[in-house]
Amino acid sequence: MTDSDERTLRATRRGFLVTTAGLIAVAGSGIGGGAAAAIPADAKGTPDATEPAKHDIEPFWGKHQSGIVTPAQTHTYFASFDLVTTKRDEVIAMFRRWTAAAGRLSTGQTAEPLGYDAQSPAADTGDVLGLPPSRLTLTFGFGPGLFVKDGKDRYGLAAHRPEALVDMPVFAGDQLVETRTGGDLSVQACADDAQVAFHAVRQLARLAYDVAQIRWVQAGFVADFGKKATPRNLMGFKDGTGNPSVGDPKMMDQFVWVGSEGPDWMRGGSYVVARRSRIALEHWDRMNVGFQEQTFGRQKLSGAPLGKKKEYEPVDLAATDHDANLVIPENSHVRLAHHSSNDGARILRRSYSYNDGVNFTAERWPPWRQGMEYDAGLLFVCYQRDPRTGFIKIFERMSKFDMMNQFVTNTGSGIFACPGGIGKGEFIGQRIFEKA
Amino acid sequence: MPNETRSLPGKSLLALAALVAVAAAPVQAQEPTGLLDSIHRHKTLTSTVTDNGDLNPYAVIVAPISVGKIQKDDILVDNFNNVSNLQGTGGTIVDYNPTTKKTTLFAKLPQHLAQCPGGIGLTAAMAMLKSGWVIVGSTPSTDGTTRTRGEGCLIVLDSNGQFVTAWTGPNISGPWGNIAMVDNGPTATLFVSMAGFSVPGPEVRDPESGFPVTMKKATVLRIELSIPEGKPPEIKGQTVIADGFGHRADKDAFLIGPTGLALAADGTLYVSDAMENRIVAIPDALKRTNSAGTGTTVTKDGLLKRPLALALTVSGHLLACNAKNGQAVEIDPVAGKQLYAQWIDTNQAQSPPGNGDLFGIAMTPDGTGFYYVEDDTNFLMEAAR
Repeated sequence: MTDSDERTLRATRRGFLVTTAGLIAVAGSGIGGGAAAAIPADAKGTPDATEPAKHDIEPFWGKHQSGIVTPAQTHTYFASFDLVTTKRDEVIAMFRRWTAAAGRLSTGQTAEPLGYDAQSPAADTGDVLGLPPSRLTLTFGFGPGLFVKDGKDRYGLAAHRPEALVDMPVFAGDQLVETRTGGDLSVQACADDAQVAFHAVRQLARLAYDVAQIRWVQAGFVADFGKKATPRNLMGFKDGTGNPSVGDPKMMDQFVWVGSEGPDWMRGGSYVVARRSRIALEHWDRMNVGFQEQTFGRQKLSGAPLGKKKEYEPVDLAATDHDANLVIPENSHVRLAHHSSNDGARILRRSYSYNDGVNFTAERWPPWRQGMEYDAGLLFVCYQRDPRTGFIKIFERMSKFDMMNQFVTNTGSGIFACPGGIGKGEFIGQRIFEKA
Repeated sequence: MPNETRSLPGKSLLALAALVAVAAAPVQAQEPTGLLDSIHRHKTLTSTVTDNGDLNPYAVIVAPISVGKIQKDDILVDNFNNVSNLQGTGGTIVDYNPTTKKTTLFAKLPQHLAQCPGGIGLTAAMAMLKSGWVIVGSTPSTDGTTRTRGEGCLIVLDSNGQFVTAWTGPNISGPWGNIAMVDNGPTATLFVSMAGFSVPGPEVRDPESGFPVTMKKATVLRIELSIPEGKPPEIKGQTVIADGFGHRADKDAFLIGPTGLALAADGTLYVSDAMENRIVAIPDALKRTNSAGTGTTVTKDGLLKRPLALALTVSGHLLACNAKNGQAVEIDPVAGKQLYAQWIDTNQAQSPPGNGDLFGIAMTPDGTGFYYVEDDTNFLMEAAR
């Protein structure tokens, strides 16, 4: 610790706006001088400027982790980590650091109190200083590797692996890349600003040095279509119409939150499945709109189920035309995903589009095009009470028969147990470590 | 953004409806005289994708007996691509049991076998002998194009899907189309089309046509087998009974050449000559001692759109799968007449629908329908009355 810590900015990032000019000036003078320069002001004295608007903050502490039923922000940065330490205490210490940082970041503060010491790395990378909290949420999950990895119980947690945290089965058409798959821990950062989301994961990764390292990440976005509008994905269709309502606590209890069937540390938590689904946009863009609609089972413009006029009209899977053909085709996405086709199974989708430029790819359909194509698609994210009766049940059949499979290839995948919410004074995973 | 840029063309749905109407009916309406006009149902049996991600199903054969992992009437399907999506890299065979409706992995070959030049990429050339041995062709690549084509081989597997041996030699280059066969138990005669011989990569173009350069070296090879009791089959003789077929690389289809083979009761071998868009007849195929060249034309063009695998119906008609659309075509080869085309794969993800989706075809055991594969969705399908 240096003297400058005593003069730490306790301010929010927005508060930092008022001192930014000063900081730059001071920092500039410090370069080459080598001396730890003092930051002269504590910006907290100007409440109007320092307090972010209420709607900019999503609560971090609570019964459930945020970022699950939280209305979707416009950006995500989903990270999977491998634990590289063999020491349980180091994992616990990291979770303590993560918890403290997450609590601060969620309110727009720096990851750790920010001092200034020209001789030391900063306590925060500083790249979002001046930005509002942007409704940042950080949602933490435990992958199978936290409990057992390569047959080893590294942290004495093997006996506490929930039954529902199964290894993900191989699905038809999976073309999973190892470096985009799995992981011991997950952090889903969502915010209304891409840089805020990335910044948050970057700080956590810094706080995890030598304990955990990033295995894969995926950034995603969903444009702001307006509060009441269902967003459109890159295929041009509304995505998420059939989601169970997050405003219905009973439904959330039934389908999203782990109840008494799970270990106590998972109660109020949920299981997340994340899949990186590359979409052959070049192939899709050549399709007639009518065929695209048959593939989805919905109309492109209105989002209405085929045979209906409005987006939220119920899907009628039994409807037939005058030739007795199903109005919503047998292998359409909507039919296969619908809860009535899956013994009532439902999941809460919280997906984002992604766009990682172009790279060389070989399509997996006739005419077997090869070439530079968009590496873009969907970071499919869903939460559920039990993946065995949620995503896995639903996707087992979809992976074989969904017409959409002619355009979508899953290249990454992860499954994580997101424990129940974190109370103030607790740290992430505290209840499981106390048990074990 | 102006509204009109987001509006959808209203006619696309009308176009779809018209297309479905065409697809549902035989292209030529005639008195029922064949098989296709009796086919009204197309049923998805299984996905042919394996756990290791292999896809792009090619060969379809029906097991003649129960032995090892296989039950009589099981359907065996192989995959031409591996998980990289590259053609000429697949090494798996799945087994679908129509009674239990279960799909199991019959064989999984490694990417490279010392006995198979160029690697492994399983083609439509597959047969199962009554003695339980399975023979499958490999025409491999490493980049999904014929630029990296290996000469390939014919692989012998036991009835548990285990590799036994592989055959190579100067007559074997790119074993490609479906195998026609006479199986007497202790002996058998196989016919295999060979589409490899000197085909360069698709980047080598014919300056006149602009297409990859066409060779005229593809053959049909007759292979005489002896199958000693309890021992793997041995090659006792090889005769090139047809040659000079056109064949070339294709950026999309990997390789175009003679593909479908069907042996009629009178010993005539029918060959689908994809490059010439025709079916030809090779007379006296079981006994001839020389090459018939490219044989005589049975039928050409018309409903044929680059014919692939062939199957022979109970009444002696040929069924050909079109490469360039999703249609199967029924032909009376004696009359040299095309009877029907049915759009068995109407998938509009390809244009025209089903383009590039079909390949293997095999009659059901009772002869009232047929099995086929859809390369777009990786399905094994059954066409039935």
